[in-house]
Amino acid sequence: MTDTLQDSSEPDLMRREREIARRHIGKFPWLSVTWAFVNLAVWLSLWPLVLTSTLSVWIAFPIATLNVMLCYLPSHEAQHDIIARPGDKLRWLNELVGHVSTIPLVLPYRVARLTHLEHHKHTNDPDLDPDYGTHASGPVAAIWNSFQKRQPGSEGGPNAYAAALQRIGREDVMLEAVLSTLVFYVILFVLAWSGFAIEAALLWWLPRHIGQTYIVYYLSWAPHHPANETGRYRNTRGFRAAFGNIASMGMQYHIVHHLHPRIPLIRTPRAFHEMRDVLEARDCRLDGI
Amino acid sequence: MRFFLKTIFDYGAVVFAFGFIAPLTMQIITRAGIDLPFGLTPLMAGLILATVWGGIAQYRGRWI
Repeated sequence: MTDTLQDSSEPDLMRREREIARRHIGKFPWLSVTWAFVNLAVWLSLWPLVLTSTLSVWIAFPIATLNVMLCYLPSHEAQHDIIARPGDKLRWLNELVGHVSTIPLVLPYRVARLTHLEHHKHTNDPDLDPDYGTHASGPVAAIWNSFQKRQPGSEGGPNAYAAALQRIGREDVMLEAVLSTLVFYVILFVLAWSGFAIEAALLWWLPRHIGQTYIVYYLSWAPHHPANETGRYRNTRGFRAAFGNIASMGMQYHIVHHLHPRIPLIRTPRAFHEMRDVLEARDCRLDGI
Repeated sequence: MRFFLKTIFDYGAVVFAFGFIAPLTMQIITRAGIDLPFGLTPLMAGLILATVWGGIAQYRGRWI
């Protein structure tokens, strides 16, 4: 098949790619919707359990960390209208998932959505891609860079998102980011001065830092590394994650997501394998996968 | 409102140091049962760390 496709015309390749994508788009992502609410419910339930000493904070800490790591992807499905498109009967569910799933991450839905769509439009463009600041020479540098971008004086991270929102004329949304961050710190400070500083640190502050690092590594750095090309078929790659596709939150097949963002996360591996010959014919980077 | 928010975020490192690092340090010392020198209380140690680390972070624009 590959030999055949290598000689295929541009319209033939595009037709085959779209036929495959069409088979996967429009399927209701039950897993992501369930995941959004269960994950949030688990994280929220840790608070009363820990604050009433029913559960050790040391047991709750890794659970909370996992919750923060896992909270972004359901919102990501909502950002791409995968749960329901505007005008659909279940549109409210799409928006609800988008708004509530990233509460542990303190990332407002509209901020995430608008900046993420800018990332799709301008992937790897140093001036226009809000996620470009995550590029780094290797895995260790990517993790270190992620911490550096969260320093108060950094121009990357949240400040890159603010710049993107300003550029697209959505400064109104910036206020949501500012207020949600403010609420987050007020809650932390109130808990801390009420005698629950260690609990606040281990249920939210530290899990959020670990989660942000993990998310930046697997959702931004790894699938775009080395982030030096901007074409549709070269700005994202397939890669073999050290701990597998689930531990990398499905990002081994992120190239399929960039080509067809409305394919649900759970279906990207299958779409990738069906599309593989097209991707090879397009000279996509399929690093070890 | 804008001025208020900007001021808080401009001095974010110091605000975070006194809002979170000071009580966190105090509670870690207390729960760990650490005896402090020079008659320092856990609260004093937390406030000293917040002042020094928060001040440096505010000046340098980075915690680490």
